[in-house]
Amino acid sequence: MKKKIFTGLVLLSLFSMPGFAHHSGAMFDYSQLIEVTGVVKQFQYTNPHSWLIVDVTNEDGSVTTWGFEAEGPSSLMRAGIRRGDLPPGTPITIRGNPISDGRPAAAWFDAVINGETMNPGNGFAINPADE
Amino acid sequence: MKTSIIKATALTVAISASYSALGQDFVGWLDYGEGDAQWQDNKQRLQAFGEEFDNAFDMYEYLERQAGGGDQLSWEDMDRPEFDWSGIYTRTKGGLSFDPDIPSDQTTAQLTEAGAAARQEKIDQLAATGGEYDPISDCRPPGHPRWASEPFLHEFIVTPDQTWLVNEMVNDARRVYTDGRAHTAPEDAYPTWNGDTIGFWDDGVLVTHTAYLNAGQYQRGAQPDYSDQVEVVERWRKVNGILLEADFWVFDPVNLTEPWYSRQSWIELANDDTLLRIRYWWCGENQNNDIIILDDGTSQFSEFDFLDGL
Repeated sequence: MKKKIFTGLVLLSLFSMPGFAHHSGAMFDYSQLIEVTGVVKQFQYTNPHSWLIVDVTNEDGSVTTWGFEAEGPSSLMRAGIRRGDLPPGTPITIRGNPISDGRPAAAWFDAVINGETMNPGNGFAINPADE
Repeated sequence: MKTSIIKATALTVAISASYSALGQDFVGWLDYGEGDAQWQDNKQRLQAFGEEFDNAFDMYEYLERQAGGGDQLSWEDMDRPEFDWSGIYTRTKGGLSFDPDIPSDQTTAQLTEAGAAARQEKIDQLAATGGEYDPISDCRPPGHPRWASEPFLHEFIVTPDQTWLVNEMVNDARRVYTDGRAHTAPEDAYPTWNGDTIGFWDDGVLVTHTAYLNAGQYQRGAQPDYSDQVEVVERWRKVNGILLEADFWVFDPVNLTEPWYSRQSWIELANDDTLLRIRYWWCGENQNNDIIILDDGTSQFSEFDFLDGL
């Protein structure tokens, strides 16, 4: 499994989402940012939170399935992330703040798909209508 | 019916009115004005206005008298810009702070001893564990007045006899009755998440009173709690083509020594592709959104559906 631990990115992590979720961010470790590369298994595009499920092939050939939590569809759409953008099988490199109990899950920070970066945190940026 | 024309430059045009009547110093709508100092001065006047009243309903009745009983709207009025609240909105600023002018680890509420102790308990919990459990994690409603500080998408629907204030989050709709009805009689009333809201229109401004609310918290983190005696007076106004603002005065004899004033606001989002719309919320739709409370009072996910045997 390709897994990198980055430290010193707490400030960036604070922008990743915890404050606006419908639940406390207590379960995530915002002092760490992990990165994995794999393929999309499923995009659970649901309220109140969406989950991007990613299969990651480990060095020994086994597969670990990771889950990355993001906001619900409306926030993802505001971030330019649509359900159809991530069909099963899509190659992806994704970063997130891991949950603290060691299971392979994280708060989705950003991802690179076909050279394009997707950042769910942009879903709270305000793009006002024309007056 | 009195008429009002919304000006596109309303943010910079003060339409304040202040005069003495009925023994009270009436304070009309005050814009943000030029710069933070001007707004802080205006905000203090609005705070002081609320402090003139012993309770929320006295304030509401006073405002109703000032408005001559209010304006009864018709469907023809709905074409006027001050009543066109259509579109998809979101909270303009504030994050998880009830008073959007300050960070969420602070408060401008004047707390009773009990209110301060309750807030300190929340702060101590965060300091001791680094986390907390928010009751809305199971998709129960945030309740009101917390409703005002929740993010996500909103819709606002004005009709002559009712105005609906909708948050996408947990399919949450507040109904404001403006047909002249009174509150549910006390002997028939009981507390609910959004309470019972009545209101009237005064020259394009919607004035409301909400009672019969459940106890709750203004937000998680270091924001204070409110009791089931909380009542709220609000004054809503469309200040330009895309911006809704509302004065909030929260009265709570258990937790507040004085009513707590804040200015809330929501801005219409660009939605030319019509992708943004209110979508149903249900925590049970996805197993991975099941949150549990731990023994130390913090939160964790329960079982994930994408793991086998972990």
